[in-house]
Amino acid sequence: MNSRKSLLLAAVFAALAAMRGAADAAEGAIAPSGTAPQEIAPAATPIRHLVVIFNENVSFDHYFATYPNAANPPDQPVFAATPAAPAVNNLVSANLLTNNPNFTNKANGPNAAEPFRLDRTQASTVTQEHRYTAEQQAYNGGKADLFPKYTGKGTPGGAGAFGTKGQVMGYYDGNTVTALWNYARHFAMSDNFFDETYGPSTPGAINLVSGQTNGMRIVATTKKPSTLAAVSYYVADGQGGFTMINDVDPGYDVCSVAGDQTMLEGKNIGDLLNAGRIAWGGFMGGFNLQVVNADGSTGCARSTHSPVVGSDVRDYVAHHNWFQYYASTANPSHARPSSLQAIGYSFQADGTTADPANHQYDLRDFYAAVKAGNYPAVSFIKLPAYQDGHAGYSDPLDEQAGTVAVINFLQQQPGWKDTAVIIAWDDSDGWYDHAFASTTNPSFDPEADQLDGPGKCGMGTARAGVAGKPVNGRCGPGTRLPFLVISPWSKANYVSHDRISEASVARFIEDNWLHGARLGGGSFDETAGSIMDLFDLKSGGGNAALYLDPSTGTPVASPP
Amino acid sequence: MRKRWWVACAGLPIVAALAMIQSGPLPLRAWLTHPLASFILARGQNPWPVHLTRPGSKPLSAMAQLGREVFFDPSLSSSGRLSCASCHSPDHAYGPSGGEPAVNGGPDLSRQGVRAVPSLMYLERQPGFSIGPDDDEAEDVNLTQLAALAVKAPRARKTAGDSAAAANLVPQGGLFWDGRADTLQDQASGPLLSPLEMDGGDVETVAAKLRQAPYAARMRALVGPAVFDTPALAVSEALFAVARFQIEDVSFHPYISKFDFWLEGKARLTRSELRGYLLFNDPSKANCAGCHLAAPRPDGLPPLFTDHQFEALGAPRNPALAANRDPAYFDLGVCGPWRSDMVGETRFCGMFTTPTLRNVATRSVFFHNGVFHSLRTVMDFYNDRDVAPEHVFPRGAGGSVARFDDIPPELRGNVDVVDAPFDRHPGDRPAMTSAEEDDIVAFLRALTDGYRP
Repeated sequence: MNSRKSLLLAAVFAALAAMRGAADAAEGAIAPSGTAPQEIAPAATPIRHLVVIFNENVSFDHYFATYPNAANPPDQPVFAATPAAPAVNNLVSANLLTNNPNFTNKANGPNAAEPFRLDRTQASTVTQEHRYTAEQQAYNGGKADLFPKYTGKGTPGGAGAFGTKGQVMGYYDGNTVTALWNYARHFAMSDNFFDETYGPSTPGAINLVSGQTNGMRIVATTKKPSTLAAVSYYVADGQGGFTMINDVDPGYDVCSVAGDQTMLEGKNIGDLLNAGRIAWGGFMGGFNLQVVNADGSTGCARSTHSPVVGSDVRDYVAHHNWFQYYASTANPSHARPSSLQAIGYSFQADGTTADPANHQYDLRDFYAAVKAGNYPAVSFIKLPAYQDGHAGYSDPLDEQAGTVAVINFLQQQPGWKDTAVIIAWDDSDGWYDHAFASTTNPSFDPEADQLDGPGKCGMGTARAGVAGKPVNGRCGPGTRLPFLVISPWSKANYVSHDRISEASVARFIEDNWLHGARLGGGSFDETAGSIMDLFDLKSGGGNAALYLDPSTGTPVASPP
Repeated sequence: MRKRWWVACAGLPIVAALAMIQSGPLPLRAWLTHPLASFILARGQNPWPVHLTRPGSKPLSAMAQLGREVFFDPSLSSSGRLSCASCHSPDHAYGPSGGEPAVNGGPDLSRQGVRAVPSLMYLERQPGFSIGPDDDEAEDVNLTQLAALAVKAPRARKTAGDSAAAANLVPQGGLFWDGRADTLQDQASGPLLSPLEMDGGDVETVAAKLRQAPYAARMRALVGPAVFDTPALAVSEALFAVARFQIEDVSFHPYISKFDFWLEGKARLTRSELRGYLLFNDPSKANCAGCHLAAPRPDGLPPLFTDHQFEALGAPRNPALAANRDPAYFDLGVCGPWRSDMVGETRFCGMFTTPTLRNVATRSVFFHNGVFHSLRTVMDFYNDRDVAPEHVFPRGAGGSVARFDDIPPELRGNVDVVDAPFDRHPGDRPAMTSAEEDDIVAFLRALTDGYRP
């Protein structure tokens, strides 16, 4: 007999049998075992658990331009406005849906466009330009009228994606981002939350946990400091160091690209939580490299197929991993925690051996730990990339499903009564937002800064960086982003107008658990606004749970 | 007498089994290592049935219903006689209904197109165009950088059953034969505006027609009352609606061929189809599955019968194409002339996309230039191109065989001579016998949708 032929048959058999094996492996990847008594960390407010769901790439107006009024076309999830809706600063209240300066400013050329509604069927769109310099140029000294020209150029997503000239002016309404509109109506939302600086995902993630992006150290690079002609991820800070301004992978992470990796000096909120012995963790989709997904993928290439986008999307994105840029909070090998009980803690059960995970876990670990009664005080959550909301590879419908799943789950836990969930976003993707915040973090890099003309962002002197001297590369606040607080202790159907920014989240953690300690080293937590206006601590935590259908975003009586 | 009757009864199944082993396509070793599976497979059934995940069928959204109206609307063409459906016929797997190498268009339907009409089916998972695997999460990498990386990168051979070639840094994904559109919406604008096809004029002309169309009110309701104030937006929305029709309407990706039901254990392949299936997957025979991936994914998504990669196969020039009357004209796919961003990437010249083979048996025109008109001649091309090129290519002026006559001489080095069955030489034994070619064609017929188990 012909051995080639039998090899072939074996291959055919193997291909068919592989499907069963993978399905078996996907089962039972995480099996919660036992429960751990959770130390209740002392807190200044009734909030004992903070869960930050940090999604990707939308501006406030992109999701809330017409809130609370949706178009409600036939056969789509309905959002009916209530008479008691609070005032909100959006495209309707600012009267910018027509005669928008992005349409009337001829400098936008053929891409000039009025804002327009994106239908639920257009959940999958191409992505926009959203880098540090391009976003400054779009804001054009505060006039916010050059979005189609500077941030309107996208890269494609799946075959079914929508794209048009002036696409950057598109907005969704409550028929697509239905869950977020329902959360906003039932809980509290800010219409005055800003990206700490202009630019994309990595600076946004870093700003959330450390309040600033100066002190970048190059591990490997193929790039020179950013110029108008050749954009890169860093600039010289003017004091002999570097500031990160665009996306780059963290140093030493086994999933990072080899040629370009950086680390950061300075502290992040994890360092302060460790010093205060408060249980905390970063929980990211795709972080556990041992899991095998339903499609058979594993390791750094673990991926999920999104029918909305029509493609396979890698779950873990290294350049979104906030804590991985700091040696003190990194887990570059993606080592697993020593036990379910050790999640959130620096040490193993013996209290002296360092836990290998170093506070960095998979999103599955979050579910498993909380289910087992081990609910950290502070949890930073990143959904698997297909659910993070980033145009081009994710979309608002997958984002809704992932976000609602976390919140439905938490609302059923005993710890919900003293939990606050923050849903925030890392950057705007370049999507249009009309609200410009006067510059409070000036910067004067001759090439990268363009907000108020060549080499100019704001006036006066740049603020001090890691080493205590004025540094460039942190022009901001950047774009306005959505921000919601979902908690029994949040105000109901409330829109806060207090100015807050990404560093306000660090500030809340510091004030609630760390007696108002600050990060220092040039962090903007020092001056960031307070998010307390979104809470009603006197009400007694009586805001009822709101269960939503993950696919439609509409309320359901009991958890699905 | 009684005893002999008993012996005959016991012997018959043994004889039948031996006959089955002897006459079937499975090697003896398979019978020895997997006796039960071999028995089931030899009977034409899948020994390890799987559950396939098919796209759900829901009522069309308002956007998709709008798209269906646009798809069938001939008023958008200059002749008033061509709609999307004229070339992408729903009755012919959303491909051409006839055997012309390219369809005629223009104001009086006298201008011939330049390429065979591809099917619009099974594009719902099509990745964007890229050099190497598409990575939507890496945002700072452009095609020029990827093309530069590809120069030095080694390429794995494309071998059925081996996924190493999936990582090759070669052009892949996108729509059209040259991958120049990334989204169905972009793709739809091509035929609409091409002077050789629907010849719809400029964006303003199309927008003015949309405004008069019976579905104009539907567009206003969906996009907003100002939709026609910006012609580009109106056209984008109408073409997105067409794309949405293609994504939502399950007739574009039903996965209901005999082979799909076979995968699920609900259909039996004939002996010829089974032999064809094994030859299709055999790296030393047809090796079709080296590019036309035939295995379902572990998560149950059915096979698409393409790896989305581009190939320069060197099909013969088609004299029936009007454009080919100009001897200086060469359609080189990725590097032009109909896509313009990769003209300098000469090592990609002659490369065209690998289409799905689902419903391929419903077509009567094959390859980008429509040079073949039956699956059997396509199989002959794969079989004879290298071992007997005189059967495939015409003879040139001096009487010698004009191999790869649809590619300029200096670019013929791009043609794939590595991946089986193209790794053979003149005089070698062809990869397949005539009967084997017929078996593969029989298997390809089992990829036609509409089977009822």
